[in-house]
Amino acid sequence: MKRGIFILLIVSIFLTGCWNRRELNELAITLAIGIDKSDDEYLVSAQVVVPSEVSMKGGKGGSPVTLIQGRGETVYEAIRKMTKGLSRKMYPGHLRMLVISESLAKEGIGDPLDLISRDWEIRSDFYVAVAKDTTAEQILNVQTPLETIPANKMFSTLKVSEENWAATVGVTLDQLITDLRSDGKEAVLTGILVTGKPEIGSSKQNVETITPAASIKLDDLAVFKDDKLIGWLTEDESRGYNGIINQVKNTVGTVSCPEGGKADIEVLRFNTKVKGNVKNGSPEVAVQVKIEANIGAIECPIDITKPESIETLEKAYEKAVEETINHSISNVQEKYETDIFGFGNAIHRSNPKEWKTMKKHWDQQFTDLVANVKVDVKILKTGTVNNSVVEKGKD
Amino acid sequence: MLPTVKINSYQFLVLVILFTIGTSILVIPSALAANAKQDAWIAAILGMGIGLLIVWLFTKIGLWFPNLTYIQVNETLFGKWIGNIFSFLFIFMTFLYTAILLYYSGSFLTIHVMPNTPMAATNILLAIILVMAVRLGLETVARSAEIFIVIFFILFFILVVFIAPEVEFKNIQPVLETDINKIFQSSLPLIVLSAMNAISLLMIFPAFINRPRSAKKYFLIGNIIGGLIITIITTLCILVLGSDMTAFQKFPGYELAKKINIGNFVTRIEAMMAALWIICLYFKMVIYFYAAVIGLAQMFQLKDYRPLTYPLGMIVVILSLVIFPNILEQSVYDATIDIYFALTVCLLLPLLMVVVYAIRKKQLKKNSDHA
Repeated sequence: MKRGIFILLIVSIFLTGCWNRRELNELAITLAIGIDKSDDEYLVSAQVVVPSEVSMKGGKGGSPVTLIQGRGETVYEAIRKMTKGLSRKMYPGHLRMLVISESLAKEGIGDPLDLISRDWEIRSDFYVAVAKDTTAEQILNVQTPLETIPANKMFSTLKVSEENWAATVGVTLDQLITDLRSDGKEAVLTGILVTGKPEIGSSKQNVETITPAASIKLDDLAVFKDDKLIGWLTEDESRGYNGIINQVKNTVGTVSCPEGGKADIEVLRFNTKVKGNVKNGSPEVAVQVKIEANIGAIECPIDITKPESIETLEKAYEKAVEETINHSISNVQEKYETDIFGFGNAIHRSNPKEWKTMKKHWDQQFTDLVANVKVDVKILKTGTVNNSVVEKGKD
Repeated sequence: MLPTVKINSYQFLVLVILFTIGTSILVIPSALAANAKQDAWIAAILGMGIGLLIVWLFTKIGLWFPNLTYIQVNETLFGKWIGNIFSFLFIFMTFLYTAILLYYSGSFLTIHVMPNTPMAATNILLAIILVMAVRLGLETVARSAEIFIVIFFILFFILVVFIAPEVEFKNIQPVLETDINKIFQSSLPLIVLSAMNAISLLMIFPAFINRPRSAKKYFLIGNIIGGLIITIITTLCILVLGSDMTAFQKFPGYELAKKINIGNFVTRIEAMMAALWIICLYFKMVIYFYAAVIGLAQMFQLKDYRPLTYPLGMIVVILSLVIFPNILEQSVYDATIDIYFALTVCLLLPLLMVVVYAIRKKQLKKNSDHA
């Protein structure tokens, strides 16, 4: 009995509660972080959820999120300095977006990313994006309709757009770090920008009209060399890029019909294989694309009840995809000289011995690299109708 | 004088599996990938193969004298003085490893789960159940291991199935890029952790097992199963995280669990997966501590080993707190000193035993006949 009581007393020392517990109402749940740099100081902005405004009972009509900022010589310092203006400690465990300003990206993103990958609370499943032509602070300062929390809006937009249009690519932190550390692939990030009047974006007014005065939009891809941003792709090049790295799930392509006019092809399945090879000491890659598609829309006089016309469309789309991909490869080779496509990794996989000598001056090798693009399109269905709406039935 | 409890072969198998997996599951993928890159899985298999040879040597040594523990074998072979010096080395090693494992578990918990908790708190809690287990005796430990191995395999199965969608076979190519020498070198830590350190199990095998001859088979099978699990985890780390990320992380196994995402519904279950490592870590620690305590008791020919558990337990806690001033000292120790230390105690000494046994075989037989 005495022994039991003694043990109970000892145990109660340890069972008083968690050591450094932090209850839900002591946390500032941060969904987006933006990093800017000005005058050798980091300006970190955090979009923090206001729980009472997003609760099921409905809030008082205030903003669902609030922005807190801190300045410091390092990102960590800036984040901790935020507590000066915040009653709760930041909790980044549910982070969705990390936005880096363009000017900081041009200087290099390696240093600020270190903290983010070292910290124990931050997971690696959020997207990283670059604020194009603006500051990260500005991006986080816009109210959005549909999704009350702007960070969620950005996250979902990136996801939906990546899956349905394929000109953007959602890069998660671990993917980005892998790219930054890899010899055979350079990083890309999606650009994100504010359209309209950013001054109004911050107020609740912004979501009270049908057309918001300011809104957040995704833009094309930013090209990196090592950890520095060196330029932007165009939309077509971005789509070509996505095609090469096999990120396309679903997209729409437009082709010209032989007799003028346009037709839309709805891509259902898109599969790319990149194979490296070394011929006479110079690297080569073979890009093989297999596409399964439906006809999305016909806006030209073509009789799609005939199998031949399907073939024509297939050929036309094959050519179009081939051109897009070739175009984005050659443009990146000429303009940026940085291997964002991971061709180096493909060579590494196929010819590990040659790669060892090649990787030292891979940027040069990459610019001279020959890419053989082969596209195979199969159109399976024509949608719910046969011929075009305006095409009259033949007498 | 000492406990006469005997465990059966299956219980021994369970202990061997948990011991083999032990710390390896947490740190080995990173260590293997650092040198062998995407060929880390080959290094794991190679390490397993070489490890098996070493374990086979241990079973041979054990079965010379089916009723004696390793400490007693030492004394029989080398005589009182030299034997005791070797035994002391062995006890010192197992005791040190207990403290190191306590440090491991403490640092894992404080890095990933509870960063503001002082390591003393986690270590004291773990040390309490450690001492408790050893006081209750081998049979209790073995029985609880039987229960925990089921939990372990369920969790492991969940981990493997749930992480399967994230696998990318690109990550493992090109196969065999690293030359075989380097692969061999990088598999050395695995051999040390999983096979050489298994010499501690000679405190249980064969003296405390009811049928030592059949247990020999289980010793090897347990080592194979444990090795396979480590190989699977390493391969998954490479396939999912890529070789670079695997080497980049301190605890890649934990990072692997973080990656689990089934339809945005089954996510963030890494804390549950941490139970995997804690279970293995705990049982490996118990076996080390048990070997140290029993070994000390036998060396000094005590009637009961239990009085030793409290003071040694306290020393272990303190040692675990002061043993490494910071985490880098630990990685340096693991990569350099520990390997030579383990090679000496766990490979050179047993080989010396083989030589001595070959010379003194006849004489020893005569002695045992007299007795």
